[in-house]
Amino acid sequence: MNSPLNEYTQGTANWREVIKQNSRRTYLVIGLFFAIYIAIGLLVDVFLYSQSYPTVSPITILDAILHGELIPKATIIMFIIASISLLISYWFHDRLMLLGTEYHEITPETARNVQETQLYNVIEEMKISAGLRYMPRVYLIEADYMNAFASGYSEKSALVAITRGLMQKLNRDELQAVMAHELSHINHLDIKVTLTATLLANLTIIVIDILFRAAIFAPRRSDKKGGGLIVIIMLLRFLLPIISVILLLYLSRTRELMADSGAVQLTRSNEGLANALLKIQNDHAQNADEYRNQYNNTPNEQIRREAYIFDPMQAGFLSVRSVNDLFSTHPSIEKRLEAIGFKKKTTE
Amino acid sequence: MSLILLIIILAILGYGILIYNKLIAQIETIRNNQKQIDIQLDRRFKVFESLINVVKKYMDYEQTTLKDVVALRNQAQQAKASGDEKTRIDAENKISSIASNLNVVFERYPELKANQNCMQLQEEIVSTENKLAYSKQAFNDSIELYNANKQSFPANVIVSMFKAKLDQLFVYWQLSAEKVTEQEAYTVKL
Repeated sequence: MNSPLNEYTQGTANWREVIKQNSRRTYLVIGLFFAIYIAIGLLVDVFLYSQSYPTVSPITILDAILHGELIPKATIIMFIIASISLLISYWFHDRLMLLGTEYHEITPETARNVQETQLYNVIEEMKISAGLRYMPRVYLIEADYMNAFASGYSEKSALVAITRGLMQKLNRDELQAVMAHELSHINHLDIKVTLTATLLANLTIIVIDILFRAAIFAPRRSDKKGGGLIVIIMLLRFLLPIISVILLLYLSRTRELMADSGAVQLTRSNEGLANALLKIQNDHAQNADEYRNQYNNTPNEQIRREAYIFDPMQAGFLSVRSVNDLFSTHPSIEKRLEAIGFKKKTTE
Repeated sequence: MSLILLIIILAILGYGILIYNKLIAQIETIRNNQKQIDIQLDRRFKVFESLINVVKKYMDYEQTTLKDVVALRNQAQQAKASGDEKTRIDAENKISSIASNLNVVFERYPELKANQNCMQLQEEIVSTENKLAYSKQAFNDSIELYNANKQSFPANVIVSMFKAKLDQLFVYWQLSAEKVTEQEAYTVKL
């Protein structure tokens, strides 16, 4: 047998532990995002009040807000803005995700061949295994490269999409493992989690940007008591975007490991997923030029890169357009295999 | 001071309610998952019945097989009604072995195997058996979650307060000891 898995020693996957550990990390990151958002809200409030009470020091103002003597208007307004934009993005997200691809929906009635029936069956089996209450919609994307993603903000509106290349090149077990990975994303509410975090991060950056401009053009205070405040705002203006990107990518990698372990949990086997991941990687390496063309000619792949089971940008298949693109959204294949119990053999 | 005490009491109460609701939800999940096994068994019976009807055109062998399946199904249903889990599981297992025989039959007839319909049906057999197995797995997983939760602290305090409602006993889906030894010794004879 000359399978790529021969280079690895197979062990057992401790999926319970991996999921527990990573869900702790998620709580931490999401909590941090909320804390940052509230802190920025308070900062805006302190800034605004220090404009209307120029003689009072910022610390006294913060103290007054925390004791309920001043109403934190900006924080409340920011909270409302965040809630509304979250609702709107939940609403449109699933339709956004398929944008730019050529796709069609698969149902038991419209399946055109055995492969499509098998795909639907495999997802239905994983739905039973995961105990999901709704069957996600299934979309087939007409593309040769092997990839798949899940979307939708809740179980009810969930969808999974896979490319034709993936459906044709994986065997039943591997397909099952990949679908288990995607359904785990749905089961763990990953789309909601990442959307919430991304939105909060973006809003925070917008707010600090506005605050920064306001602080620069604000009339100078005569007593120089607000000087410290402006320094803080300027520092945050440059640090926050970096901090949020690091946190977001940490979150994304955490959720990927969780979904991998979820796939092991649903199928009770770590071999299918390991084989599938290696197959996807090798297939990308073999058809590198062709896939690079296809990825770059499909609009909006940037939106999907994080959701894909295999990040095309990280592997160098999508051209880099911004600094964010340089960071990895997924752990390396070696790390992912190690988390589900496969250790690479050391070659002497 | 009394305000802080009130807040603490309210927090404990709220936490207790959360645990109570969570356990109730877990119990209902187990019940639903248990019924899911029945749903999958029922589905399997119907799928195989129609499957045999299709294959019948090719071979007369199935006439008896269909009767076997129907007989076994009746046996399983009677056993279920009288609460005899062992007979029921035996009957269900025999239906499974008929399913694998059908697959062997498919292999023997190349023109049948190449037939698009039959490939669909073969896929249907695999998927049906998988769905049944996964529904059992989901059932056991939900029991695990509930059992672990109700014995952990502080949930066990709440459970001891509402024993009648929260302290349920669920048995994992499993094979009997003699069945396990029998299955362990089983090898494929070609």
